[in-house]
Amino acid sequence: MNEIRTVIKFTFLSRLRARSFAVMTIIFALILSVMINLPAILSHFSSHAPIPVGVVDRPAGIAAKLDEYFAQEGGDSSVRIVILKDLGTPEANERQVRRSMSEGTIKGVMEFGEPDASGFPAVVYKAEDTSDSALKAKLQGALQSIKMQQTVRELGLDPGQLARLNAPVAWSTVQLNASGDRGKSESEMAAASVLVYALLFLLYVGVIGFGNMVATEITSEKNTRVMEVLISSVPPLRQMFGKIIGICLVGLVQILIIVAVALANLQLPHNRGALANLDLGQLKISLILYFLVFYVGGYLIYATLFAAVGSLVSRTEDVGQATMPITFLIVAAFMIAMFGLQHPNAPFVVVMSFIPLFSPLIMFLRIGMSEPPFWEVALSIVFLFVSIGGIGWIAAKIYRTGVLMYGKRPTLKELRKAMKAYKV
Amino acid sequence: MTVLRLEQVSKQYGDKIAVREVGFEVKAGEIFGLLGANGAGKTTTMRMALGLIYPDSGRILWKGGTHRDKLRQWMGYLPEERGLYPKVKVSEQLLYFAELRGVSRRQAARDMNDWLERFGALEYRNRRVEELSKGNQQKIQFIAAVIHRPDILILDEAFSGLDPVNVELLKGEVKRLRDEGKSILFSSHRMDQVEELCENICILHRSNTVLKGNLREIKESFPREQAILETERAISGLDRIPGVKSVEGDGRSYRIRLERLSTAQDVLRTALEQSEIRRFEIIEPTLNEIFIRMAGEGHE
Repeated sequence: MNEIRTVIKFTFLSRLRARSFAVMTIIFALILSVMINLPAILSHFSSHAPIPVGVVDRPAGIAAKLDEYFAQEGGDSSVRIVILKDLGTPEANERQVRRSMSEGTIKGVMEFGEPDASGFPAVVYKAEDTSDSALKAKLQGALQSIKMQQTVRELGLDPGQLARLNAPVAWSTVQLNASGDRGKSESEMAAASVLVYALLFLLYVGVIGFGNMVATEITSEKNTRVMEVLISSVPPLRQMFGKIIGICLVGLVQILIIVAVALANLQLPHNRGALANLDLGQLKISLILYFLVFYVGGYLIYATLFAAVGSLVSRTEDVGQATMPITFLIVAAFMIAMFGLQHPNAPFVVVMSFIPLFSPLIMFLRIGMSEPPFWEVALSIVFLFVSIGGIGWIAAKIYRTGVLMYGKRPTLKELRKAMKAYKV
Repeated sequence: MTVLRLEQVSKQYGDKIAVREVGFEVKAGEIFGLLGANGAGKTTTMRMALGLIYPDSGRILWKGGTHRDKLRQWMGYLPEERGLYPKVKVSEQLLYFAELRGVSRRQAARDMNDWLERFGALEYRNRRVEELSKGNQQKIQFIAAVIHRPDILILDEAFSGLDPVNVELLKGEVKRLRDEGKSILFSSHRMDQVEELCENICILHRSNTVLKGNLREIKESFPREQAILETERAISGLDRIPGVKSVEGDGRSYRIRLERLSTAQDVLRTALEQSEIRRFEIIEPTLNEIFIRMAGEGHE
C-alpha cells in the first residue's frame, strides 16, 4: 500500500505546484468575488436621488395628492413630483413641459386626459426613457391609491372601513416533513435554496473539471510513455486509484480556497446586509457533511469512468471527444437538479435521486430543499458507493488493458479481445 | 547462474500470433541481445519478460521462480520511446520512480546524485525534462531505469538519439553494470553495438526465433564467403575465376564474394600474377549481414 501513497503524494504535489492550478484558482476566486460584490458595485454606480417627474396641474388637485403621496415615503422615495402650473391652453402647457425637460428639471411628465367611466382621468406618461418599469409601477401604484381614496370618499366610507378594505391577507409558508413535524421555515428555505444552488454548482464544476483532469493526466502519461515505466513499477489498480485520490484531494483544496474566498467576501461591511437575510446560522452542519459525502461519491464514480476512458486514448488531443458521453451525463444530472430546485418532490426527481450517476447531485438537492426520510438518503448513499465499487472494478480492468494499447481508440470488441489476451 | 529464463513462450492477440515459442536465458553478468525487425515480436517479448503481460503458453522464470511481487524491485526498464514527465523536475521524477519501486527517499537521493554526477548532468537536477536536450533526456531516462538498483535490466534502444560521445559514455555504464553482475536484456537496431556488447543473441523474425546462440559461434557457423583484396595496380579478370560470385572495387581495393572458401586461393594467385599485394583477408560476415539475411527476406 506504500506505492499508492507515493502515487497520491506525487499526483497531489505536482498538480498543486503546476501553474494551471494557481491560475484556475485565482480566476475562480476573482469571478466569485465580483459576483458577490456585484450588488454593492452596482448600487455604487447608480445614484439614490429621486427621479423628478412633472405633473401638469390639470385637472387641479391630483398633482398635489401625488406630491403628498411620495413625500410620505420620505428620503427613500425614488420619485419626486414637480408640479407644473396649468397655463390654460394645451399648447402653452406643452411648451412649458418641453422647456423643463430640456433644462433637466424633470425626466418625464404625466398628463391627464378626459375622465373615463370610473370618473378618473386617463393618464399619459411621456419621457425620453420609458424603459424604467419600476418607476412606471410606482407611479401607477400612486395613482391607483389616489383613485381608490377618491372613490371611497365619493361612496361615503369612513377611514376605518377604508383600512379594512386595504388590509392585505396574512400569508406565511410552513413546510412539513413526512412525519408531519414542522420542517424548514421560510427563511430556512431561502437560505437553503441559495446555498444548495451554490453547492450544486460547486459539485458540478468540481466533478466535471477534476474528472476530466484524471482522464487527461492518464492519457498524457500514455502519450509521453511514462506509463510504460509506471506499469512496470506499480500494479495498475493502485496506480489508477492513487491518481484518482490525489486529484480528489487537489479538488478539495481548491474548493476550500474558494469557500474561504466567498466567506471572506461576505464579511466585508457592505455585504453584511446581504448576509443578514440569508442567515447562515440556519445552515445545518449536516448539509455540509452531506455535501462532502456526495462530492466525494460523485467525484469517485465519475473519476473512475474518466480514468477508464483516459486509459483507452493514446493522444491528449482525443481526450475531450472520448470523454464527451460522460460529460453529457453530468450535464444531464445538473439539468435535472436545476429543475429539482423548484420541484424537489416531483416523482421524477425522487426517482433520479436513487440512480447512482445522478444521485450525488439530486439526492443532495432533495436534502437541501425538502426533508427526505433518512432511510431514503442512506439507501441512495449505499447505492452510490456500491456502484463506485462496481464501476471501479470494471474501470480497473479496462485501465489495465487500455494502458498497454497504443494507436487508434479500440472498439468494444477489440477491447474485449485485448482483455482476454492480457488475462485481466 | 540463470537469472531470467523464457521457456517456449507464446503470446497471441486475438488470432494474430505475436510471439511463437521463444526461449532464451540471461545469466548474471551477461548482456543478451534480442534482435528483430519492427513488428517481429520484440516488444511483446520484453513486456512478458517484464511481467506486464502473461504468456499464453510456456513459462518465464525470474531467479528460478514464477511471477511475484518482488519483480517490481528486481526489474529495470528503459522503454524505446522516452518515458518521462515533460513538466516535472528531473530530481522529483527520478525520486518518484525510485520510491514507487520501494527504495527509500534518502537512498534514492544519494544514488541519483551519483548517477547525475557520473553523467555530468548534476546541473540539470532542478530543471524540467522538457528543457533538456534529447541526449540529456536519454541519460535521465537511463537513470530512471537503474536508480532502484535492479538485478534485471531491459534496455530497448538504449542509445538512440545520442551523439557518439554520449553513446560511449552510456555503453561504458552498461558494461559496468554487467560487470557488477546484472543481467541485461538488450535490444537495438545497431548491429555494431550488439556485436560489441552481447555474448549471446536471439533474432526474431515474424514472431519466430530464426537464430539463437552464442554470437561467436553463430558468426563462425556462417560461411566466410568474402575476401578483401588491396593491390598496387589494377587487377583484371577476377570476375572470370570460377567460383567468384561478384567483384566490387575501384582498381586498387576489391571486395569479392565467393561461392566456396577454396576459391580464395585462386583469387590470390591471379592477383599475385598481376601486382604486388598490400592486403588480402578472408572476412567473416558481420552481424549486420547475418541479420539482413535472416530477418530481411520477405520484410515489408
